[in-house]
Amino acid sequence: MSSTAPVGTFDEVFDSDGTPRAHAEQLVAELERLGAESLVAAGALRDAIFMRQGITFDLTSSDGAVADRPFPLDLVPRIIPAAEWRTIKRGLAQRIRALNQFVDDVYHEREIIRAGIVPWKLVASRSHFARAAHDIRPPRGVYTHVAGCDLVRDSDGVWRVLEDNVRTPSGISYMLENRLAMTRLIPSLFAHFRVRPIDQYPALLHAALRWVAPVADGDATIVVWTPGPANSAYFEHTFLARQMGVELVEASDLVVRDDVCYMRTTNGLARVNAIYRRLDDAYIDPLEFRPDSLLGVPGLIRAYRAGTVAIANAIGTGVADDKAVYCYVPEMIRFYLGEQPLLENVTTYLLDDPEQREAALARIDQLVFKPTGESGGSGVVIGPAADERRLEELATTVRRDPTQWIAQEVVRLSTVPTVSADGTLAPRHVDLRPFAVFGEEVRIVPGGLTRVALEPGSLIVNSSRGGGSKDTWVLDDEHDYDGDAALTASFSPPALPDLRLGSWTGQAQQQQQQHRPPP
Amino acid sequence: MLARIAHELFWLGRNVSRAELTARMIDGVFQADLQGRPDDPSGVTLSWDGVLAIMGSTATADSGRPSRAETVVLLSTDPANANSVVASLERARDGARAVRDVISADMWEAINSVHLGLADAAVGVTGYGGPYSFVSYVKSRTALFWGVASRTMLRDEAYAFLDAGGRFESADMVLRMLRVALPPGGESSTSPRDGQALALLGAVGGLQAFRRARVAAPSAAAVASFLLYTRSYPDSVAASIDAVRDALELADANPRASDPVLRLSRVLADLDFRGRVGGRDGTELVEVCEIVGNELTLADRDIAERYFGGVAAPSRAA
Repeated sequence: MSSTAPVGTFDEVFDSDGTPRAHAEQLVAELERLGAESLVAAGALRDAIFMRQGITFDLTSSDGAVADRPFPLDLVPRIIPAAEWRTIKRGLAQRIRALNQFVDDVYHEREIIRAGIVPWKLVASRSHFARAAHDIRPPRGVYTHVAGCDLVRDSDGVWRVLEDNVRTPSGISYMLENRLAMTRLIPSLFAHFRVRPIDQYPALLHAALRWVAPVADGDATIVVWTPGPANSAYFEHTFLARQMGVELVEASDLVVRDDVCYMRTTNGLARVNAIYRRLDDAYIDPLEFRPDSLLGVPGLIRAYRAGTVAIANAIGTGVADDKAVYCYVPEMIRFYLGEQPLLENVTTYLLDDPEQREAALARIDQLVFKPTGESGGSGVVIGPAADERRLEELATTVRRDPTQWIAQEVVRLSTVPTVSADGTLAPRHVDLRPFAVFGEEVRIVPGGLTRVALEPGSLIVNSSRGGGSKDTWVLDDEHDYDGDAALTASFSPPALPDLRLGSWTGQAQQQQQQHRPPP
Repeated sequence: MLARIAHELFWLGRNVSRAELTARMIDGVFQADLQGRPDDPSGVTLSWDGVLAIMGSTATADSGRPSRAETVVLLSTDPANANSVVASLERARDGARAVRDVISADMWEAINSVHLGLADAAVGVTGYGGPYSFVSYVKSRTALFWGVASRTMLRDEAYAFLDAGGRFESADMVLRMLRVALPPGGESSTSPRDGQALALLGAVGGLQAFRRARVAAPSAAAVASFLLYTRSYPDSVAASIDAVRDALELADANPRASDPVLRLSRVLADLDFRGRVGGRDGTELVEVCEIVGNELTLADRDIAERYFGGVAAPSRAA
């Protein structure tokens, strides 16, 4: 196996002279032992399993036909050493706490604005700034219950935050299914590593929702609210409801009476205490937001304002993951927490500023331009990859409404070896979306969803545009496993009677029960 | 019906059930074992030596800790090990041949054809692939067997013994798993072994049922009480014993004088009582498991003595 990562790119498995990095040596050796043939066979089994279990996504081909494809999981895992993970984890927890405070602040005292750090004009002009959320403090003051920040590594290998997602970040189900699939497809890869488990995520989410649910006594009723089976992330909605053992509801199941939210059950109305919603602010209540929304529950915001129901994530969090606000996150961390940011931003230009705008437009073919209110990569223009006409259009659009655009330096995403169709390995660019849950405290599941561009040299990792994903392993070095063996040795399982074999004669039984000698 | 035929049917049910539960257990433990349990550094009680203990096997006990690869092969595809899945299926097939006139043709075909795909499915067990293909094959074939049995077999004495055997084995295996997985000495409900509770639920395929039935986090004690007492969950010990008792009641001409029926009824009443009145903390759960385990051994003997003419009964000393 060899790696030929493009010059100027950081490869996470091989260093610049092509030798495996220390943490990946065993992985490289095991992949070599398996060989291309085994990887192709495991790939075929993976597709069969995913199709059978319905872990698929819709791929629209160039002729417009929509096909159901197995989710493209790459068979080479991505490894994150424990020390690196500690930095990421702390950096993200810090960032999410700051974002949570920011949301609280802009809908209440607006201290950060009065301190002159974030301009009010910018905040109020964000498309996801929700006037309806003004002066509402959700149960226990948590807004960003679920967060997924996208991380990248540039050519220097340093982890940076590319964007924040604190509305309804998706992908957690794929992360969990990827791990399950890897343990079934190529378990031998795990042999030399202690990989930290991730299957506690649904329990963490459930605990966080219980923590914020306003209940006087007894157990909280929690629901997952989906727009419906037509939604592209419906698989994830069902997955989370099933894993948490809670109801998956649609708008028609919910009803608000006297500022209290209920769901319709066979036993009449049942009180709902917390809603994990998977649809945007704009659709959740036709009385407050879009009046034409058929997906919404009339009166829900009234119940929310009355504090009888927790909604995760809270209303109006979109203001915090706006891409123009993103530029101010390091300042927020200093302002609210009095700490230095542990994770840096990618260099970003605010196009509202005339000086920055002209400088950025002069280098329009070298930068990435992003509309501020969008998510999931829509509307993004990558300067070096766009043709001249597209760039001219872009310049016109940006000049017309510069507050809705930002520009970023192109990040040469790091690479990880990835299986090609013939089973050989080649470096491909990756990013990482770790998932955080904010309840009593911020908890981050070790790893996250690694997305990988499957085309050589491509930086587009979105699965809707031909990207794949990788199982992400955070290694556990905090425990000495020899020490564990000693502990385990002190435990001996209780001796149970032998299993009976039940032969009619009783003679054969005794013969069969003779144990074979230890191997 | 002939005692010998009743005996064969009972053991046909037991062997099919045993194959399925053993396969599920291998799958559950395999997956938990692949990933580190930083939240559970102390006791991997449902690990490979635990699995061997569940199977009543002492074969590798003195050769140090059994390895993952060794144990998986030993319990899944090793024909020489009487407790392997393959050996259980082979015995089931031999047993089915002896009662071929009693069971339906579909059932015979389901069990007779198991070995056709077994070789293919077993490839991964020794290679890089792990036991997944093997386990899913065994699960689907045993489910097919029970499925056609429930649709094609007359509900007579014969079906009652087959059913009793299958459910008896479920109760026995789940109880064995609990006895090995539960912390010895009964630690508090926040045991560091809670991570293993997930593996245990995975091993019996009850993860989603648990999550729908209980709000509690899957701690060792919560899982154990779920698997012991919950009648609405078909593989719980209580539900299985209930089914065995019902089947024997149908098969017996005079159930009110039947030792096994009376004994199982008493165990059930005891389980119900314990489930309602306390019985959910570590110490008591361990105790209940042990009592029920001993009662099952006695019920096994009672069944052999009453219905099978005392043939192949476990010795009274056991």
